[in-house]
Amino acid sequence: MPRPKPDLDALRARIAALEKRPVLAEGAGSASRNRPGGEDDLLGLLKAPAGLLHEIFADEHRQSGTALGFTLGLAGSLITRSRQALIYLQLAAEAQEIGLPYGLGFSAFGLTPDRLVIGRIGTVPELLWALEEALACRAVAGVIVDLASHPKALDFTASRRIALRSAAAGTSAFLIRYGTGRQASAARLRWHVKAGASAGQPFDAGAPGNPRFNVEIEKLRLGQVRQAEQHHLILDWTENGFVSVDPRQHSLAPLRRPAPPPRPQPAALGHRLSQAG
Amino acid sequence: MLWEKIKGGMRIAALDAAASGAGLSVGQNVSDARALVPDLLVFEHDPDFTAHVFSEFADWHSNASPIVAVHDAMAPYGDLILDITGVAHLFGGEERMLATLTGRLRALGYTVHGAIADTVGAAWAFAHFDPGRIVPEGELEAQLADLSIHALRLGEDQVAGLSQMGLKSVGQLYGRDRKALQARFGAALVSRLDQALGLIEERVIPRLPIAEYHAERRFPEPIGYLDDVLMTVRDLAIQLGLRLGAEALGAQSFHLFLYRVDHKVMTLSVNAGRATRDPGHIAQLFVHRSERLEGEYDAGFGIDMIRLAAGSLSPTPDVQLGTFEVDDGAEDLTRLYDRMTSRLGPLAVVRSKPVDTHIPERAVKLESVVARTPDDPDALLDPPVRPLRLLPVPEPIEVMAEVPHGPPLRMVWRHISCRVLKASGPERIEAEWWRTGLGLGFLPPPPDPEKPEIPEDRAKKKVIVPRLEEHVSRLPTFDAASTVCDYYIVEDEAGRRFWVFRLGLYGAPTPPRWYLHGFFA
Repeated sequence: MPRPKPDLDALRARIAALEKRPVLAEGAGSASRNRPGGEDDLLGLLKAPAGLLHEIFADEHRQSGTALGFTLGLAGSLITRSRQALIYLQLAAEAQEIGLPYGLGFSAFGLTPDRLVIGRIGTVPELLWALEEALACRAVAGVIVDLASHPKALDFTASRRIALRSAAAGTSAFLIRYGTGRQASAARLRWHVKAGASAGQPFDAGAPGNPRFNVEIEKLRLGQVRQAEQHHLILDWTENGFVSVDPRQHSLAPLRRPAPPPRPQPAALGHRLSQAG
Repeated sequence: MLWEKIKGGMRIAALDAAASGAGLSVGQNVSDARALVPDLLVFEHDPDFTAHVFSEFADWHSNASPIVAVHDAMAPYGDLILDITGVAHLFGGEERMLATLTGRLRALGYTVHGAIADTVGAAWAFAHFDPGRIVPEGELEAQLADLSIHALRLGEDQVAGLSQMGLKSVGQLYGRDRKALQARFGAALVSRLDQALGLIEERVIPRLPIAEYHAERRFPEPIGYLDDVLMTVRDLAIQLGLRLGAEALGAQSFHLFLYRVDHKVMTLSVNAGRATRDPGHIAQLFVHRSERLEGEYDAGFGIDMIRLAAGSLSPTPDVQLGTFEVDDGAEDLTRLYDRMTSRLGPLAVVRSKPVDTHIPERAVKLESVVARTPDDPDALLDPPVRPLRLLPVPEPIEVMAEVPHGPPLRMVWRHISCRVLKASGPERIEAEWWRTGLGLGFLPPPPDPEKPEIPEDRAKKKVIVPRLEEHVSRLPTFDAASTVCDYYIVEDEAGRRFWVFRLGLYGAPTPPRWYLHGFFA
């Protein structure tokens, strides 16, 4: 006996309203509509719409630099004129394990040293509180949480809470995690980042070149269930942003160049911040 | 009874009424006193502790008058001064104020004497020698004349000298030749006399900062719950905000005074990143601050008065956004930082401030976002390639197959060995000799390599490779031989990039050591 369709649609609409999906579906749709096709699809995701919870997994603590670099690449594209701040949260006790973000290194990722505000927090509940508080602020472009450990407080419920907060405020949250285990989470996107052997400098093949990321997308829930053909990308971070590198060639062969990452804004007349700086 | 050590003997320092009734006196030997009164309660006298307790007790009196001071000219504790200018009418006149203040202390079992006079000196004199007196304006000189010269806050030898000469009351000093008095008994006598008579000024240093703007509320019935306190704070913040708004002022620091029934004052302070008068924001800062209190909040037997005071005032005109200024969310951000700082602590939320130096650890200073200082224009804004993360303390690594003065070929860090495929460097970073303030001179002999210096606190930490030395930053001391760091960017077979450095030179008495300092993307 076929069920009446209007009921089903109404139910779907209600669930979508509960889960705040339409916003996300729309954003993801615009990201994928412009560039159809497997790899470009994923490249489009690098400029995912704001208001999503991302998880960025690295295999081990010693790849913390890689994870942070990739995250800054993702988060940097969210900075707009009215959302200028990026906030980074870390447990104070884990700074020696995974390192403290170093201001002078940000310039390679198009950020000035004081653009990223660092929170060094004592306990996990306080960290979650700070995360929610920062997400709710409409002047924050993104919040990056870096956790070397796997605290129990950060379970599915907590991540669902973060995802809803983030969708409600339109502020993206980035959770950097380490290890190979995966817990259930409400993240819309889960990236798995590994460092890749770089191509070397053009004038010195023995010197490390542009950072290279082996990126795998493990989870993609952007409103509609999609089955991307390819889940793997090799990216270089250049001064023009992420550039895809053909995995078969392992050479610098930019397929397409996305727009440059946001730099510090030039001085505009009557603009308070730029006058101050 | 309290005793203290005077000239090696245990002497009685203070007595209560019952003990003095039993025939004991101050200055008596403790063993004699014990012999006289077998069931004597004897405690050692701790002047510092008593002074501390008394100062807290003094703070509590700021619920009666804003200017409260401990008068410490004669004793570190025991004398309390209240400036009641313009306050007495709140209590229904000076007499009733004095009765209220002394009465409430007597009710708690304290022995208390009080007096009201025009000058600090006269008030002290009457409180000690004629308690309960309220001196009307203009009659000070006449009333003071009958008092003993002890009332002038003089030293014992001065009093003895004056009595020898037959000068026993204050009035006998009036009209004497001042120069002769000064020559014989010192300038202190004349100045004390003038202070008592109000001829020269005597300053009262208030214990608590005087807030120009404050709002307060008294409770007929003491309150105890923190939630009630916070609700009151919200009301007070609205009052305060209106008063500040009327004069287009904003404040950056807010102090909350909770006056407990049992004579203690709890203070809570919060700071805002920029001047504000928004009641909601102020109240929220206190809510977050109170969450950090945890066990410290103790209402005792209740709180009967709450005062909210504003400090660090600055003109804060109302602004209209959208005409010439763009709403860039800076205000929202400041508020977010205020909230985070008030709950997480002042040093939890920081920004990186570039500093004009080339030493990596120093080139970035972490500075609280709510206490910004202007940027240094000389700071390196476009430094050489720097890592994305830095370890707070560089970790020792073991380097194998090293080429002298070249990058390592294989390194072991945290027990895992990796092969270095690509490397660039070295970038040599040395100590800044111009900061040491040393002139030209002979170098001290090189340190003895047999005795490596490991400070105790470093040694206690978890040492990853026991036989490798922990890195000890020697930035403040300039030592040409030991502070040469050659930094390399190395990339291992998995593409991980590290910033490693070699401390020291080959051929030096101490062999060079390697450390890992940071991570690149």
